[in-house]
Amino acid sequence: MQKKEVSEKLTALFGLKIGNISAQLEATAREFFGADNKLMDEDEIADLSSEFVNLISGLIGSKDPHKRTSPQFHALEAFFSGLAQRMLMRGGNVEDVVRYAQQLQHNLIAALEKDSGVAFTHSRSVLLFFAQHFDELIMAIFRTYLSERENTLKAQEAELRETSTPITEIWDGVLTLPIIGTLDSSRTMLVMEALLNRIARDHARAVVMDLTGVKNIDSQVSHHLIQMVRAVQLMGSDAIITGIHPEIARALVSLNIDLSGVTTRASLSDGLKEAFLRLGIHVSHKES
Amino acid sequence: MAIPGIHLTRIGKGNFLLEPLRSMNIQDRDNLLQQVVAQVQQGRGAHLYYDLGELPIIDQVYYDWLDRLARTCQAANLKMTCINMQPTAAFTLSKFITGKPAFATALDVPD
Repeated sequence: MQKKEVSEKLTALFGLKIGNISAQLEATAREFFGADNKLMDEDEIADLSSEFVNLISGLIGSKDPHKRTSPQFHALEAFFSGLAQRMLMRGGNVEDVVRYAQQLQHNLIAALEKDSGVAFTHSRSVLLFFAQHFDELIMAIFRTYLSERENTLKAQEAELRETSTPITEIWDGVLTLPIIGTLDSSRTMLVMEALLNRIARDHARAVVMDLTGVKNIDSQVSHHLIQMVRAVQLMGSDAIITGIHPEIARALVSLNIDLSGVTTRASLSDGLKEAFLRLGIHVSHKES
Repeated sequence: MAIPGIHLTRIGKGNFLLEPLRSMNIQDRDNLLQQVVAQVQQGRGAHLYYDLGELPIIDQVYYDWLDRLARTCQAANLKMTCINMQPTAAFTLSKFITGKPAFATALDVPD
């Protein structure tokens, strides 16, 4: 019964001309996204406010404005999600979007009051209606923010993965993979995946893995390393490991790692020479 | 004579290319081994290239088949080289083999 009264009040309220309200709400958008913030230009601000008024009118004019599963409410949610996404992409922050939504709620009520001449700030049911709906819309903003953040983190992770395995084709058919930092099991797996795919793609006949930048190695990682060498060999490429520090060599021996099938060289340049030799490539100084 | 599930082609002087088909039944291993080696020997072959390009995963059962074929080839004075091994297959295979396999590996048939 109470719901019906509220709906009637709201419908009557929105029977007013909405054009004026839209103009009043533009000031709110301008405060957060326009002027110095430079996140939106005047046309966008006008479109944003007009779209919002159309959507909220659609919701209130719907069969059941309280229903948060209605297409009209979903359209409003999508409006705020899209706004949050756009602002985040343009370098804005989520706080501004949330504050905009809160301010919009207050200004919407004020604008409606002014236009209708009815002081419905005294009507608890109308205020509650707006509060509940805007709370849900703010949740939609946060959901968008979290999802955007998650996407950014995933993208950064992928970028980091790419940069941590800088596989370079140093010569036709010769790949180099300098491994820098700590090798753990998950990183070794990533390196191995990237390396095997690269061998298949480039048809690389020799791979030089340089461990100069690796300071520590444990039992599990050393097994992964040997597994990586074996996988490279199974694909039909030659694997050469270079730059093994004395500590790593000692660790490999004490871990009973069999390096008999693995070609090792002291430095990356020695490894490259070995790879060139195997491929029958002759590199020499230019005769003067 | 065609070997069921196997496409065996002479690709050059003394070289044969073995392409396993989906219908190949490695349960009938001994029969297959015999037929492959016989056909390569009849063609005066010296080198058998086994194309693994269509095989995304090599499990223990398939590895046992490859190992047995390679060792049979060795006994018959034939060389066996597996070619076109997929990254996923190399990854899985490297996890469970400990020593050097009985067959050689190469990226492709040499030019």
